[in-house]
Amino acid sequence: MQRFLSPLCLAFVCLLLTAGRAGAHRVNIFAYVDGPDIVAECGFNRSSRVRQGLVEVFDAVTGAKIAEGRTGDSGIFRFPVPAADIRNGHGLRIHINAGEGHENDWIMDASELNDAIRALPGGEGGSATACAPPALPADPPASLPAVPGQGGWATPADVERIVDAALSARLAPIQRLLARQSEGGPKLADIIGGIGWIFGLAGVAAYFRRRR
Amino acid sequence: MHLSEGVLSPPILAAGAALAAACTAAGLRRLDGERLMSAAMLSAAFFVGSLIHVPIGPGNVHLILNGLLGMILGWAAFPCMLTALMLQAVLFQYGGITVLGVNTVTMAFPAVMAWYLFRPLLGKGPAARALGAFLGGALAVAGAGLITALCLAGTDEGFLRSAQLLLLAHIPVMIVEGLISMLTVSFLARVRPELLAPR
Repeated sequence: MQRFLSPLCLAFVCLLLTAGRAGAHRVNIFAYVDGPDIVAECGFNRSSRVRQGLVEVFDAVTGAKIAEGRTGDSGIFRFPVPAADIRNGHGLRIHINAGEGHENDWIMDASELNDAIRALPGGEGGSATACAPPALPADPPASLPAVPGQGGWATPADVERIVDAALSARLAPIQRLLARQSEGGPKLADIIGGIGWIFGLAGVAAYFRRRR
Repeated sequence: MHLSEGVLSPPILAAGAALAAACTAAGLRRLDGERLMSAAMLSAAFFVGSLIHVPIGPGNVHLILNGLLGMILGWAAFPCMLTALMLQAVLFQYGGITVLGVNTVTMAFPAVMAWYLFRPLLGKGPAARALGAFLGGALAVAGAGLITALCLAGTDEGFLRSAQLLLLAHIPVMIVEGLISMLTVSFLARVRPELLAPR
């Protein structure tokens, strides 16, 4: 057996173990709705975010460009959810260009965006009275409390707003967890698998050469 | 320097694929049975090498090891790198399948250049060997950076800016790779000198 192989092997494996996570081979993007905005988190891996990366937002169906911007130092680009008429009710394709040939897309479904629009403070039609059921007293708008709880009136619109805010707060950590998982680096199983493939192919090639 | 899918235009992708195919065929012919295991070893080292992160401030660079592979394998570096890059694309989604040809040419072409330029030095005395190995390792990384910048010439960044960014970011990698090549070659000279003999 070739003696030099094992020390070299060992040296590389040790280097691999001492070094941190993998570097930039692909750029990851994870986008979600947070209140009235869409948040796009871009990074190469967990510890390395994309700074000043170009983010472009396109209509997922027509490809028309809707918005554009740059990520901040934390790799995040936040922009307001485009109104339904701007995007024709379609979903969005959020594209990150991190430079040097690293690009990636995130497709956001229209259903996610429709939920977000409904959560907007002004999204309920702009008038609390419009959503009030007929059973509420038909006072003029001025006499309705501006803040829910004052005077005991909490309109359905207010309740929806409160629930949405609470849900967003609860969901934000879960969304961040999903983002972390989706951008995990190569697993040890994949690395070992790849090395196995290489030696396997070499073995097959050696076998066929011997047969000739 | 793995370019992602969707960055380059179809003509460049096709040209890269054709060039990689031709060079891989040439490389397979030059891959004799005796060296098959060494080739597999080096291919595995190349496969794993990309996972080794060289810290450089805000940037993100990794080892390439194309110089070392080129100086030892010559044209056989093409099939070895193609295999490793394909596995990286399939298993880790590094780079992509359509851009596999271009990525292979990017890394393997400077490897073959290193073979022609610096391999003759490896058969000579210890000083020449150390110098040749260091330069081969370092300059092959620079070559890969230049070819990547050339491919990005058509994009927004353009050739000059891409070349500047890539080369600047890879200077630490060049030094580290030069050192690794130097150490590996001196080790091989003691243990398996026939791998470095002039061919």
